[in-house]
Amino acid sequence: MSDARKTTAEKLQEKNGITFWRINSEKFKTNRVDLFFMDNLEKSRAAGNAIIPSVLKRGCKSFPTTRDLELKLESLYGSDVDGGSSKKGETQIVSFHMSHIADKYTLGGEKLFEECFELLMCIMENPVIEDQGFKSSVFRQERDNLVDYIRSRINDKMRFSLIRCMEEMCSGEPFAIPDEGTEEDALILTPQKTYALYQELLSTCPVNVYLSGAIDDGSVARFIDRMLQIERKDIKKVGFADVAKEVKDIKRVDESMDVNQGKLCLGFRTNVQPGSPDYFPLVVYNGLLGGDIHSKLFQNVREKASLAYYASSVLEKFKGLMVIMSGIEAENRQKAEEIILKQFEDMKRGDFRKEELEATHKSLETGLKSMQDSQGAIVDFFLSQHITDGGEDFESMNEKIRAVTMEDVVHVANGIKLDTIYFLKPDGQGS
Amino acid sequence: MDYKTITYERLEEALHVYDHPSGLKVLHVRKPGYNKMTAYFATDYGSIDNVFKVNGKEVRVPDGIAHFLEHKLFEQEDGNMLDKFSRLGSNPNAFTSFTQTAYYFSATENFEENFKMLLDYVQKPWLTDENVEKEKGIIGQEIRMYQDNADWRVFFNLMECLYVNHPIKLEIAGTLESIARINKELLYDCYNTFYTPANMVVVVVADVEPETVFSITDNMIQLKTSQKIEKKYPEEPKEVNAPYREQKLRVSMPLFNMGIKDSVRVRGYDLLKRRTAMNIILSAVMGRSSELFNRLYEEGLINDSFRHEASLDTSYGFLSWGGQSADPKKVSEIIGQELARRAETGLDEETFSRIKKSHEGIFIRSLNSSDIMARELMDSHFTGARFLDLGKVFEEMDLDFVNTIVRDVFHQTAALSVVNPIS
Repeated sequence: MSDARKTTAEKLQEKNGITFWRINSEKFKTNRVDLFFMDNLEKSRAAGNAIIPSVLKRGCKSFPTTRDLELKLESLYGSDVDGGSSKKGETQIVSFHMSHIADKYTLGGEKLFEECFELLMCIMENPVIEDQGFKSSVFRQERDNLVDYIRSRINDKMRFSLIRCMEEMCSGEPFAIPDEGTEEDALILTPQKTYALYQELLSTCPVNVYLSGAIDDGSVARFIDRMLQIERKDIKKVGFADVAKEVKDIKRVDESMDVNQGKLCLGFRTNVQPGSPDYFPLVVYNGLLGGDIHSKLFQNVREKASLAYYASSVLEKFKGLMVIMSGIEAENRQKAEEIILKQFEDMKRGDFRKEELEATHKSLETGLKSMQDSQGAIVDFFLSQHITDGGEDFESMNEKIRAVTMEDVVHVANGIKLDTIYFLKPDGQGS
Repeated sequence: MDYKTITYERLEEALHVYDHPSGLKVLHVRKPGYNKMTAYFATDYGSIDNVFKVNGKEVRVPDGIAHFLEHKLFEQEDGNMLDKFSRLGSNPNAFTSFTQTAYYFSATENFEENFKMLLDYVQKPWLTDENVEKEKGIIGQEIRMYQDNADWRVFFNLMECLYVNHPIKLEIAGTLESIARINKELLYDCYNTFYTPANMVVVVVADVEPETVFSITDNMIQLKTSQKIEKKYPEEPKEVNAPYREQKLRVSMPLFNMGIKDSVRVRGYDLLKRRTAMNIILSAVMGRSSELFNRLYEEGLINDSFRHEASLDTSYGFLSWGGQSADPKKVSEIIGQELARRAETGLDEETFSRIKKSHEGIFIRSLNSSDIMARELMDSHFTGARFLDLGKVFEEMDLDFVNTIVRDVFHQTAALSVVNPIS
């Protein structure tokens, strides 16, 4: 390749609702394949979709138990064949993944790609079935695990308060459905219904597939061929989340918990569609407000007022949300909120320096370039582009961010509306 | 420039090593085609170094002082270093562990400027009574955040169970009470004692010429005459401090950490080899392919959150494992029985070879990441080892070596730490 540093996603083929991409980047010691099945995030399917990968990992025809699978993966130099689920905006994504070290690092000339691929196809195509459903003993265990996992979201208070803030903001919208569904949704899952749901996912959901690393052309061709043998029907239309929302009243939610530190989260509607021209100024705006160490939030809440260890803002670009979060003493809540809202208002008036804008440009460029040093981050970048119909690569994204002016940022700033203020409040009995 | 290059052919990596006249070591690995440039400047000084000699006199400093100093070094007479790095678009950061304090940045441009700034500010503390006081609010909130972190609490409670005297049982950031006692003078005492070139290392992983790295270091490092540092760690008995400890926090189900102490002290290549062996042992006994893991999982006693790890340093060592469980005591009992059984039988050849191969693959995979590479080079340097020698460790490791450790370590008493939900 002429430029080893240029990272691209090359479309190899698009057929049966499956799009195959080859990630061109030659510096890594591993090969990997990522498959993403996309579905609309809906209450009736969220928990079912989430449990599917966990059940599939419990065994298949040739490797009937988890232990058989794990023994095989160990013998393949610690290769990885895995699955999971997540959401981006109002799209639920069920993913499958395989990765292994490049053949040149093996000692016995093993063909790891073929072996891993066979394993992956085995768990995807030949799960252990009884009574037209997943094996019920395994299914019940994984359902219990899913319920435990859903309940355990209170464990990480920072993440919990962020999620709760967004749920309260979007209550009544599909986005409020948790990645893994709710406890009640999980409890009514059956092996039969979930297996039928899996068949539906396999045959009707659009799929993006990414091949990364030094996989030879023959293997790629055989891989695509094999994937296209999966029986497919009419492909489901998976839509975008609605980002526009008029905020009438600011919602205030206080929740008490036995904790030491309070977590303050302010949720905003950016009203910006990912992939639209306003998206690039929004990214810069977020960097200036709270995405970076030179940001207003870090400087004013932490460095000047000493109120917090962390104070930052994050974007959920697929749903057009922004959340400001900070961990504080309960008694400082009012003060912190005032300082945070002042920064938000100052941004609307363009109260930031040109040097700060430049620093943000550079920092975002560093981020975009750094991502290209990780196969996983590269795949995630292109997946995000492909599911929003954004046509950017790393370089064009960087150019568009570079071109953002102070006026662009102020324009975007004035479209952002405060929606919800969430406070996870120590109930005074913390240890 | 006079530097050494050690090539690792099978791994397709090369390590460049420069010995600065001050005693500072400089390590560099070039990653062709990588955008990210990472540099660390670190000192062999962490939270466990709380008793040492200053001018011949032994002092005991407040807990959390190494971490406090780490926060303060960013502040310079002409402004905050975080701002200066951020103007270049680079990401500066720092951390304090049990054994080291490390300052670093990652950038994708202006390597020289960033690197000079890093080497410069770490050599120039600027502490005032005011800026020390101000930091107490920020660090106070960091401490409060960790008080609510169940994973963190369950781990430190395990350290409290395992260790009678060793300062590894102390919180890295200290407590609200201990940081209240920290002042400018104490911070300078610590700085002057531990921030000497001979006690430090520079690690660079970037697609730049080794000469660039070494000549900048040459120009930037001020030769300081350094006294020999006398760290003191208390005698630690073989026995555990307490077999069980429990705390209540707002979590959904019980969380547990279990562990055993390793009382054999080694360093250098031997430490790398022993730790690798201990990790192989843990994977064999309780990894995802083990009968034990699958039995506990199928009985619903553990879930996907189960992890295990071997931690080994020059002054301490332990094996630990844990996750969520509805019944940690039952898990502990079953694992205890299995450890006792394994202490007699050891591992078999087939299992050992398979897991060794798997760990070797995971090691090669980790070389993809310049962050992991830089961090591991630094960590291993402070224990007297070279990270990339792991390739050789895998070549040399045999079943006898591993089984000797199994017999020794699995005879030790295990301790259990549990965080229960507030009902």
